[in-house]
Amino acid sequence: MKKSFQRIVKVGWTNFKRNRYISVGTTGVMVLVLVLFSGLMAVNFLSSQLVANLQEKVDVSAYFKTDISEEEILSVKSELESLNNVKKVEYVSAGQALDEFKERHAGDAVIQDSLAELDFNPLQASLNIKADDSSQFASIVQFLEANKFRSVIDKINFYENEKVIGRLQSISGGIQNWGFIITMLLAVIAVLVTFNTIRLTIYNQRQEIEIMKLVGGSNWHIKAPYLVEGGLYGAFAAAVTVVIFYPAIFLVSSKIELLMPGVSLMSYFLSNMFQFLFLVFSVGVLLGVVSSFVAIRRFLKV
Amino acid sequence: MIELKNVSTIYDDSLMALRGINLKIGQGEFVSLVGPSGAGKSTLLRLLTREISPQEGEVVLDSVDLATLSSGEVPVLRRKIGTVYQDFKLLSNKNAFENVAFALEVCGVDEDQVKDDVPKVLNIVGLSDKVNSFPHQLSGGEKQRLAIARALIHRPRIILADEPTGNLDMVNAHDVVELLMKINKLGTTVILATHNREVVNAIGKRVVTMEKGKIVRDQGDNGKYVI
Repeated sequence: MKKSFQRIVKVGWTNFKRNRYISVGTTGVMVLVLVLFSGLMAVNFLSSQLVANLQEKVDVSAYFKTDISEEEILSVKSELESLNNVKKVEYVSAGQALDEFKERHAGDAVIQDSLAELDFNPLQASLNIKADDSSQFASIVQFLEANKFRSVIDKINFYENEKVIGRLQSISGGIQNWGFIITMLLAVIAVLVTFNTIRLTIYNQRQEIEIMKLVGGSNWHIKAPYLVEGGLYGAFAAAVTVVIFYPAIFLVSSKIELLMPGVSLMSYFLSNMFQFLFLVFSVGVLLGVVSSFVAIRRFLKV
Repeated sequence: MIELKNVSTIYDDSLMALRGINLKIGQGEFVSLVGPSGAGKSTLLRLLTREISPQEGEVVLDSVDLATLSSGEVPVLRRKIGTVYQDFKLLSNKNAFENVAFALEVCGVDEDQVKDDVPKVLNIVGLSDKVNSFPHQLSGGEKQRLAIARALIHRPRIILADEPTGNLDMVNAHDVVELLMKINKLGTTVILATHNREVVNAIGKRVVTMEKGKIVRDQGDNGKYVI
């Protein structure tokens, strides 16, 4: 068993070496396919980051009446936090709101003067709410508008933001759906290209396969080295892909960071390097082996 | 051991290649199958390796009707038979050693024995200095001797030779026939399909003559190619 496995691997490797031009051509096509796969992974990562950034920007604030004490507000906060669709609740006291307002309009003399004229703080304390998903806001707002809180809350800015939230949601949904469709489409094309390339490679050797059958080779005896050869195309293509992909990511990463601050492609692919290598190698080897397996079948009927 | 009972074959284009063939060949016989091109000689040989199956009749080898073999049993049948073709049918990306070794490996012979046997057989056919040569580096005669080495290596009980001298000059053709006769002397059944009159007449063994898919003459020992 071990010996026959060794033989299969040895014959597969010898074939791979001897059919040098065909091997280089097939491996080259598979490199293109795997680079496309890796590129799709990068694009998917970027689009998911884009969606996450958009989601992160969406929040809803509930403003409390000025006569409500901090304890009451904090009790609302803890009730909100107990909801499982609420991601984060931040309490902004009236004082903090005023400080932030002053800071934001530090250069505006009119505003600064008007504030100085007032002998009270006109701003309200608020709770800033972030949801796990922007579609959850409606139900959170409903919860706040329930009788229990109606007396303490002055207004909720959800209705002003509702349109923007809805639009963001449809944009991020669109990115995810279209991203998935395009990824699938390209993946199918990639698989077909690989399959056809390997089919042509094996078609070239159909006479050899026929001869092996006539000499008394069993299907597995003939097939196994071709599967190894297919796997080798995939493995070599994966290695070349990694060698091309990482420097390419390195070059592109800084430019993308300019467009999407805080998003680093390079660090994503470095921190997930083992998963990435595993994925690229398994996709390559699997594509090679399965394509060979399917392609050789029709030539074995002698 | 080989028996064809009322065998007829029809190719896809409804051309009848063999018509009602009845033939018995015993163990250790040397049979020359002669006739013009298209007489059905190759078709008859292809029935024996079950490359094709007859539409009518039975092809029996060692009391087994070949039509009853499953696809998994066909390779086992082919390992009992050594085949030599006019176009050699060598594996172009394997060298001489590997071409011969392949026929042994498919029989499940271990590597040590392969390493032991292959050079011996290459020596018998006079190719011991071409062990590492690829088919494209060999002459026609050498290719055919390599094909014979491959047909011999697993000590088959039957050798089928389909126009083995067709692509060779007189000297090489003579060498190949000599080899086949030597193999036959060791007890292997040889069926030689050819339309080479000189070759057949020189052998002086049983001659079966075919024409238009039928056996028209079956001469015992010292048969001649007569048209």
